[in-house]
Amino acid sequence: MKNIVLSSVATVLLLFTGCSQSEPAVDIKSNTETIAVVEEVKSVETEVVASEESMVSLSSNENASSNTNLSMSEVESKLPAIYFAFDKFEIDTAMQVKISEAADLGKNGAKSYSVKLEGNCDEWGSDEYNFALGLKRASNVKKALVSEGIDTSRISMVSYGESNAVCSDKTQACWAKNRRVDFKLLP
Amino acid sequence: MKILFLILMLFGLLFGGDATIEVIKKVDVLPSLAVEDASISYDDSFKLKFFKSIIADLNVLSIFNVDRFYRETHYNNTNVVASNRNKKYVLRYKMFEDDGGALNVHIKLLKNNEIEFSKNYKISRQSIYMFISHAIAFDINEFMGASSVEWMKRKVIFSRIVGPKKSEIIISDYTLAYQRVILKGGFNIFPKWANKSQTAFYYTALDPKVPTLKHLDIKTLKIKSVITSDGIMICSDVSPNGITLLLTMAKKGQPDIYSYNIKTKKYIRETTYGGIDVNAQFMNKDTIVFISSRLGYPNVFSKKLNTNEIEQMVYYGTSNSACSSNGEYIVYKARESSNAYDINTFNLHLISTKTDFIRRLTATGVNEFPRFSKDGDAILFIKNYKGQSAIGIIRVNHNKNYLFPLKYGKVQSMDW
Repeated sequence: MKNIVLSSVATVLLLFTGCSQSEPAVDIKSNTETIAVVEEVKSVETEVVASEESMVSLSSNENASSNTNLSMSEVESKLPAIYFAFDKFEIDTAMQVKISEAADLGKNGAKSYSVKLEGNCDEWGSDEYNFALGLKRASNVKKALVSEGIDTSRISMVSYGESNAVCSDKTQACWAKNRRVDFKLLP
Repeated sequence: MKILFLILMLFGLLFGGDATIEVIKKVDVLPSLAVEDASISYDDSFKLKFFKSIIADLNVLSIFNVDRFYRETHYNNTNVVASNRNKKYVLRYKMFEDDGGALNVHIKLLKNNEIEFSKNYKISRQSIYMFISHAIAFDINEFMGASSVEWMKRKVIFSRIVGPKKSEIIISDYTLAYQRVILKGGFNIFPKWANKSQTAFYYTALDPKVPTLKHLDIKTLKIKSVITSDGIMICSDVSPNGITLLLTMAKKGQPDIYSYNIKTKKYIRETTYGGIDVNAQFMNKDTIVFISSRLGYPNVFSKKLNTNEIEQMVYYGTSNSACSSNGEYIVYKARESSNAYDINTFNLHLISTKTDFIRRLTATGVNEFPRFSKDGDAILFIKNYKGQSAIGIIRVNHNKNYLFPLKYGKVQSMDW
């Protein structure tokens, strides 16, 4: 009796798990018969596929700060990069210290310059969200600088997403280097 | 009792079909098609290149079981090649170079040795042969009365990074086999077609002091600035009439979605959440879908324009950071693993807003930049897997994926 109960339960289960609503085979005939019989082949037409070849080439005059101000690059070399955790834009304590140092520099040696905060990300997520993540990182650094006494009008921001990587190896250490905010001085 | 049990078990196994088995059955019953080359000009390597291109295009149509064997014949032979006799259809083509150096292709589609369809094609240069291949596949598909593959003739625009803060914007065919650099030099990303006819596009210029949205007319090559925003500026979508743009800007210092009317030059802030809101797409003229971190991780939401109604669209996946929509359908990219220390997997999923239906469209690697065709028939995407990149085409209604390997660099952003 027990066997009968068990086997009937098993068959019911099998029936329900293997229930298919789909037609098992597609009707070959109905597929092929839909092809219309052509009465007469039309006169052959020729299609000309056009293409243009022109291109815009932008010379990089935007970066033309040829007579580089030494003291500016000196200051820039002292400015740290602020690093972030995976998929995060919050600033940790160690990085907060670095921002305070940067703010000190901003209030003293680099007093006459503005700063552009460049937000960057690792390669995991090459889409708009990643650019927004880069911006949130820059934005948090900006807030921290302002709270350290830097005038908000001296700070601008840009996000480069994953497109300004400093390291291209497929390693954890490399990805960590790319999750950062850089300081770039502007005259 | 045991016999009854066995019979019932066999019954269950026979009818317990699943979707993958069904697909194989469908492949078997598609009408067979072989291709015969009757070219006069050109060397063997080009002949083979063209043959491969046409085989790939015919496969993407998903209406034939395409034979991959390369066979040569004479264009006017009354009979098909002996080994193709059992094929339902035979496509025969003849390539020749005319006095002006243009590539000419004549084709005929044969069924039972009778001509069903024929057409001639001509293109100015041999190197852009792929457009003829796409046009042939398009015409055969039309002739067979299958659902339109208009998207096959559309152009893809994409940006690629060529160095630190250096990029190029490229226009290509849908397989990225043909590539024409349209904008070189500088740091220009996120290209987006400005209209249906693909005569102009928007892009973000990051070289100016403030990120700027620019508009480039392909015919005149004139560039004009549209709008700027500190921090971030991305054109995520353009309305079908080309008048309203959905932008991600940071006018208030943080990424939000704005709609912008190019006629009045006025913008409206559509989202105000303090985290991240990006990647807005029109579902219809009153509703947008977008990516937001309002649950603590990126996910897909919708918003009725001019209201505050926001709805979560996706309940699967812990990190859904990109999407594309077409009517009731949304395709989104989901991160399957959340790991700072290892390779992550990103798959594409398709949902319908009218049902609870979720379909996983890819299975391995990093699959990104999903883009619906205008008619919703196909999804274009980029697949990175084991150090190889490819452009993928998903025929949504045919349940088929096709990959075309990519030769150069990493795609930064893409529009179709």
